[in-house]
Amino acid sequence: MRTLAVLALLARRNLWRNHRRTIIMLGAISVGVWAMIFMTALTRGMVNEMIKDGISALPGHVQVHHPAYRDDPNINNLLPASDSDITQTFEGAGFKAWASRIKVPAVIMSERESRGVTLLGIDPARERELSFVSYDDVEGRFLKDAEDSGVVIGKKLADTLDTGVGKRIVLMSQDPDNDIADRGFRVVGVFHANMESFEETYVFAGKATLQKMLRVGDRVTEIVVLGDDYRDVEPVYKKVRDRVNDDVEVSRWFELNTYLGAMLKVMDGFVLIWVIVIFLALSFGLVNTLVMAVFERVREIGLMLALGMKPVNILGQIIIESMLLLIIGLAIGDLLAWATIVPLQSGIDISAVAKGMEMMGVSSILYPQLRLEDVVLANVIVLVLGFLASLSPAWRASRYAPIEAITKVY
Amino acid sequence: MLLRLVALTLAATPLLLPGTAVTDEVQRDATAIVRDAVNHWRGVSSYSEMTMVIHRPEWERRMTIRAWTKGDDQSLVRVIEPRKDRGNGTLTDKNNMWSFSPKVNRVIKIPSSMMGQSWLGSDFSNKDIARADEIIDQYDHSLLSVGDIDGITVYEVESIPHEEAAIVWGREVLRIREDHVVLEHSFYDQDGELVKSLRSLEIGPMGGRTVALRQRMSKADAPEEWTEIRIVSIEYEIDIRDSLFTLSSLRNPRD
Repeated sequence: MRTLAVLALLARRNLWRNHRRTIIMLGAISVGVWAMIFMTALTRGMVNEMIKDGISALPGHVQVHHPAYRDDPNINNLLPASDSDITQTFEGAGFKAWASRIKVPAVIMSERESRGVTLLGIDPARERELSFVSYDDVEGRFLKDAEDSGVVIGKKLADTLDTGVGKRIVLMSQDPDNDIADRGFRVVGVFHANMESFEETYVFAGKATLQKMLRVGDRVTEIVVLGDDYRDVEPVYKKVRDRVNDDVEVSRWFELNTYLGAMLKVMDGFVLIWVIVIFLALSFGLVNTLVMAVFERVREIGLMLALGMKPVNILGQIIIESMLLLIIGLAIGDLLAWATIVPLQSGIDISAVAKGMEMMGVSSILYPQLRLEDVVLANVIVLVLGFLASLSPAWRASRYAPIEAITKVY
Repeated sequence: MLLRLVALTLAATPLLLPGTAVTDEVQRDATAIVRDAVNHWRGVSSYSEMTMVIHRPEWERRMTIRAWTKGDDQSLVRVIEPRKDRGNGTLTDKNNMWSFSPKVNRVIKIPSSMMGQSWLGSDFSNKDIARADEIIDQYDHSLLSVGDIDGITVYEVESIPHEEAAIVWGREVLRIREDHVVLEHSFYDQDGELVKSLRSLEIGPMGGRTVALRQRMSKADAPEEWTEIRIVSIEYEIDIRDSLFTLSSLRNPRD
């Protein structure tokens, strides 16, 4: 124990002997650690937003469809059960939120333009918690009920079609007999979404109105169910599975949007690789510093050996030196990262590059996410790998023959 | 609307007119004027050969087409010239529409998503061609004015689509002669701005009736871009077998 204290004292004093070199090394380590944590927090935030937006567009964590619907979102692929039966089974089953809806591809036409859209027949009362549209942030108004004869379209779509609140548009789709089903609707509201692609793609209409237009009676194409946490969908999945027959397909969100699912999985690997890559760059500096420190002190080390210090203690001294360097660097880097992330947690506006980010499904405000696991991972990796990297100079120092070392001429 | 097109070219002989006294005519409400114009060709069969001219400032393209119509919901159109388009055809039956191209040797049912697209590259949309009879019951008609051109009474009728009708226009204005020739059909957007119009540029006798020999569809904001249909020959009240309006006949011309 006393040897250790002496070694630590020696290590500390040695570090401070060439304080300029030590400070530069500390700076390098701090910046490296800061970059590891900060970048990880940014990417975490980005992926988190992507998943949140992705799920809100689906929406829900678990969905039920006709087995063929996902390959061919056709009005023929309706759920076999009637909507009233579905309501009976799902209502009061303790889901955070659920809704049955009609979702079909359609064409929207104004006097001047026509566009392909995803037409959603919804019951607005049920969708309030599910929808990515905030009902109060709608120009005009949102749908009143499932019988509402108006439609709500996105801002971007309204601009493209040269239409707006109060004007009529025509929606065209197909009925189960493959005949054209169309109808005029008045635009009652224009919604804003944080993704332009949502504003372009989604058109909301009353469920009952669409059932009538598409001549499908009391049937729907999908059931969406929201659970408590998107990371843990199994309980909700099981509960839904128990409530439906075997002739339908129940899917979790990462099966519905495999891109998002894969993204979440890739993320953990990405963080590890990122941390290791930065450390590799850092390790050259670290090893170089230690090699220099050893090289400068060959005579001193020879003397200590000659006076009877065990080689293992020389090894220990160098390693303690390196650990001291790393721990101080880590502390500064962690603090730096925390100090930069916390003020940014209310969101970073990246709307200047929003178009490009949107292609990846990321909205224009980035919320960095500081997670304890990521910080611990970065610190542990730096310490462990730093220890391994300092083994070689330390080993060399402990292997000097005392006579040669003492007589070494610089 | 192809049916409408052919129909609009149709004019009745005076004998077919329900009333002759002008005062009676004026009393008729706008709906009746439109209904009569439409009824006039309901059940009428026709065979015509037309030239379709698609005009753009940089280029112009001509097609010779043959069209058969029967009643208000069956029609078959075939391209004769230019040679590379020969055999392309369109069949409509009720509100359904199929197209056939010999190059791919396949009949395609035009899905709703393609209804807004251009028909044979012209200024007419597929929807214009497929829809026939909605003009009567999907609109509220009102008589705007009664005028007189060269001694022929012309009614100006404003048609406003019903709230739930699948029609994008704010209103349409038709100018119909008392002998049921439609002089002009204008489409306005919901701000009251003219978007496109179909006008009869030449009216004359053919096939034993007075018809619009040349009709032009043009967009208001691009007057240099238009499509004209010129009638080369037309026959009315001919015997057309029902088998003509079938998918197999669309695929294999037997005429």
